[in-house]
Amino acid sequence: MTIVQTLISGILLGGIYSLISMGLNLILGVVRIVNFAHGELLMIAMYISFLFYTTMGLDPYVSAILVIICLFLLGVLTQRFMIQPILDTPASTKIFATLGLSIALQNLALMTLSANHLSVKTSYQTSVINIGELAVSIPRLVAFGAAVGVAVVLYLFLQKTLTGKAIRAVAMQKQAAFLMGINVKRIYLLAFGIGSGLVGLAGALLMPIYSVYPTIGASFILIAFVVVVLGGMGSMFGAFFGGLIIGLVEALSGVIFDPGLKEAIYFVIFIMVLLVRPSGIFSLGKGAEEVGLK
Amino acid sequence: MMQLLSKQKFLFLFGILLVVTPFVVTNRFYLNIFILILLYATIAGSWNILGGYGGQLSLGHAIFFGIGAYTSTLLYLNFGVSPWLGFIIAAVISIVVGILIGWPAFRLRGTYFTLTTIAFAEVIRHLTLYFRDVTKGAIGVNIRFEPSFANLIFREYSAYYFVVLVLFVISIAIAIWVDKTKVGYYLKAIREDEDGAETLGIHVTKYKMIAMVISAGMTGIAGVFYAQYMLFFEPISVFNMNFSIEIALIAIIGGVGTVFGPVLGAFIIIPLNELLRSSFPSLSGMNYLIYGVVLILIVSFLPNGLLPILKSIPKKLKGLNKKNIKVEDGEKVDYSG
Repeated sequence: MTIVQTLISGILLGGIYSLISMGLNLILGVVRIVNFAHGELLMIAMYISFLFYTTMGLDPYVSAILVIICLFLLGVLTQRFMIQPILDTPASTKIFATLGLSIALQNLALMTLSANHLSVKTSYQTSVINIGELAVSIPRLVAFGAAVGVAVVLYLFLQKTLTGKAIRAVAMQKQAAFLMGINVKRIYLLAFGIGSGLVGLAGALLMPIYSVYPTIGASFILIAFVVVVLGGMGSMFGAFFGGLIIGLVEALSGVIFDPGLKEAIYFVIFIMVLLVRPSGIFSLGKGAEEVGLK
Repeated sequence: MMQLLSKQKFLFLFGILLVVTPFVVTNRFYLNIFILILLYATIAGSWNILGGYGGQLSLGHAIFFGIGAYTSTLLYLNFGVSPWLGFIIAAVISIVVGILIGWPAFRLRGTYFTLTTIAFAEVIRHLTLYFRDVTKGAIGVNIRFEPSFANLIFREYSAYYFVVLVLFVISIAIAIWVDKTKVGYYLKAIREDEDGAETLGIHVTKYKMIAMVISAGMTGIAGVFYAQYMLFFEPISVFNMNFSIEIALIAIIGGVGTVFGPVLGAFIIIPLNELLRSSFPSLSGMNYLIYGVVLILIVSFLPNGLLPILKSIPKKLKGLNKKNIKVEDGEKVDYSG
């Protein structure tokens, strides 16, 4: 029975990773930017959620929509004023710009908000659903459900709507998309905004589970990269299932090997995926190297 | 004045200043800053061979730094091996690890290479934490203060200064060698256009590997010095991703792919860092906040770093002088151009 319990907690943890990674993947796939500051966007989202809770008494689930809007705007501003001016520079430049943003935001938070761990108190945060001997945490189930929902909605949006198709067109071939009359810059703004909005949702849903502190983003960003590469760049379902796989790996390696080795194990998996199939397990057949270059 | 200072003369003067420094600067606080400047200039210079000339942006160089520190120190503490010998062993092990990382990772390009180096660094950091029987885990490693030449532990900071000065000179010599020989040209070609370089017959992987060997070996040696100088280190201080970022930042601020860019970067960043740390001890994170902002500004506005600007100063001054002479001659001078 314990192994089933481990599998369940692994999958639920994976849901959280998926939720964080899908936004990162959208930005990576469309704008072709490795956004190292994605973890800091999560941190900001959680602080905003916490702020709504302390000042207005809003439950994190209620204020989630406000957090999403805030993060969407923040993402659009980041894209417009930081990323857009350096879009045509080499990949290295872009990496170090987002890395700089990540370091700056993290330490700005450290200076202004102190390193204290802040958390909210809700009635449901410790509630569990018991199925026989199995216990399922409700906030984690909610986050998992949201991850499923986001994956489906995002898929439908990208496949069925005109805007979604435009986003995919830009991701595939931005010159051709431009020639077809698509406003590439606006699509970039939108993609960065949606990607950030998704991490806003993740932050709001994580608030009842984790406490927030300035370096919380750093603990998630590397996992998010592992998930994105594992699942395949640009593939939303890839990011979703990649998250689940990493969640399972983390939970199982804690049982099979040693909890101290779980990070080492998923980074080894990450390296192996990069070497054997750099385009990811669920890739759309797009060469990862090509994306890495341009 | 400036026009008299040709590049050679400037470097000669710079060299003399470096040798004289420990006799003039006797205050331990300031001498410590100079030691750190030279140490970080050495490491950033090593990073620059692979990351600057070769364009292979490693964010995992802490691996080699940490391996250097752990190798020599564990040999010293457990088997009494002198850290002087430790320099060589650490360099060899760093190089071997560098090759083992490069062998698969050089198949990947751009961002993917960078992510792979981060992943390797994380694996090694977590393994160091896990095998605490060997590495002492998260509590870190202490070296007892037993000053002697053989132990590479000194009472006087000036002795450390000269050791690191030698490392620094070696790293500069290597950088000049790379810069002036075909290795540097090939690496630059690979950086600018890898497929093009390969088409022209450059053995891309071989030259990336040469850069990796130099870079990893020198960084490992710097790690040994760090361990003997600090006499304490822990996984979080030597296998830290922030460290990898910091040395890349130093090279980028100065100017990547140049011999003296990383030196300039170290002379800017390290004093700034120490100054901020001592001036605002309560504001932890202040130095990193500034790092972050500087990094964004540099890559956005000065992608070639500060060295090209510094180099252009004498020329501008020369230009001004000529104009002044012309004024003395009573000619009309157009200052608008």
